[in-house]
Amino acid sequence: MVVADLEYQNCLCAEWAWNIAKLKVRLANRKQGKSENSLMALRNIGLGAAALLTLSACGSGDEAATDDAPEPAVIDQRQDNFEEISDAFRAIRGELEGEEPDMAAIVANAEIINANAMKIEGFFPEGTGMDDGYDSEALATIWEQPEEFASAHQRLVSASEAFLATANEGDVAAIGEGVGDLGGACKNCHDTFRLDDE
Amino acid sequence: MMNDAVTSASGGVKVWDIWIRLFHWIIVLFIPAMWWTAENNEMTWHMRLGMILLALLIFRVLWGFFGSSTARFSSFVKGPGAVMRYLTGGANDGEGAVGHNPAGGWSVLALLVLMLAQVGLGLFSGDPYDGATGPLNDRVGVMTAGWMTEWHEIGFNVLVGLIAIHISAVLFYLFVKRRNLVKPMVTGMKADGVTSADLGTVSHLAALLCLLVGAAISAWIWFGAG
Repeated sequence: MVVADLEYQNCLCAEWAWNIAKLKVRLANRKQGKSENSLMALRNIGLGAAALLTLSACGSGDEAATDDAPEPAVIDQRQDNFEEISDAFRAIRGELEGEEPDMAAIVANAEIINANAMKIEGFFPEGTGMDDGYDSEALATIWEQPEEFASAHQRLVSASEAFLATANEGDVAAIGEGVGDLGGACKNCHDTFRLDDE
Repeated sequence: MMNDAVTSASGGVKVWDIWIRLFHWIIVLFIPAMWWTAENNEMTWHMRLGMILLALLIFRVLWGFFGSSTARFSSFVKGPGAVMRYLTGGANDGEGAVGHNPAGGWSVLALLVLMLAQVGLGLFSGDPYDGATGPLNDRVGVMTAGWMTEWHEIGFNVLVGLIAIHISAVLFYLFVKRRNLVKPMVTGMKADGVTSADLGTVSHLAALLCLLVGAAISAWIWFGAG
């Protein structure tokens, strides 16, 4: 039982170091919003504590990570790409919740979404899905139904273009409606091609 | 894991009541389950289990005020002086004492607070445009929910760190100090306990009431918090 506990811990350990590495990258890439500055300080404390704990918990050799085949870099790239879309979309909705939405911020984030949406197609080479054993939620349907995937992708590109145009016009009510259309384009693809997370 | 030295026919003294032991081992099952369901996008189950966990954690906090003596915060949360004396070996190392030692008490408190924070953050986590959302997600702004989601992820890593320390301490006791702390957490009995004080009899009805309060609060939140 002790041995089992230790093995389990080891496995969690690798998972955990990986999570922290991912978070560091995400936090480094993250654009800071107005209210986020004090949070960054807190986060750094949290990360520092977590890093110390990693050291104390993991000790020497951690073999779990070396067993896996190296992950294609494209998986991280596309996940970062989606993460940026997600953060930008959230930032837009955050602005719209406030009394005086910052139009420049909305346009800047709409540009990020549009630019990143266009990159998506190149991020899905065959053999990089979750069925290939990678830390991914990309379903095999992406490569089984390439035309449907391409059309779902096109719908996002079109929606992000339309949204960017609306954002540039600066009508808050129209932008609010655009959020629904854009979100629908995200969801449309997730429903069929990403692992269901319900 | 078997340590014949501490098996005693006399049975020793009672250290942990049945509720503390059940709580402890259910948590042991729940933490990996919460991690697994999150990793595998079983968010429906993640949230169901999370709400049960919330009920259990509320029970444990209440039991820390109304429960048997070793369950009570007042019995195991000691000042920094006591902790330092314990860690530097200046005080009795707890050979015959029952209940949490001064360092372990803080470890328990930290684990409880962190688990409560995790469940609390989880209630607000998620994004309506991106998968599952906690039952109180729509009660906060989308940016607030965003950072709570991130902290929910960070918090788990910290929790794993605390658990690693907790298990390390138990293993240290087992292999270095030759004292099996796991067995009392299973049987409730400590063979070499020398205290004359008993656990302080608290009825099972009180435990059920604490559990009921936890379940009621959890259910109220689950169904939209009125």
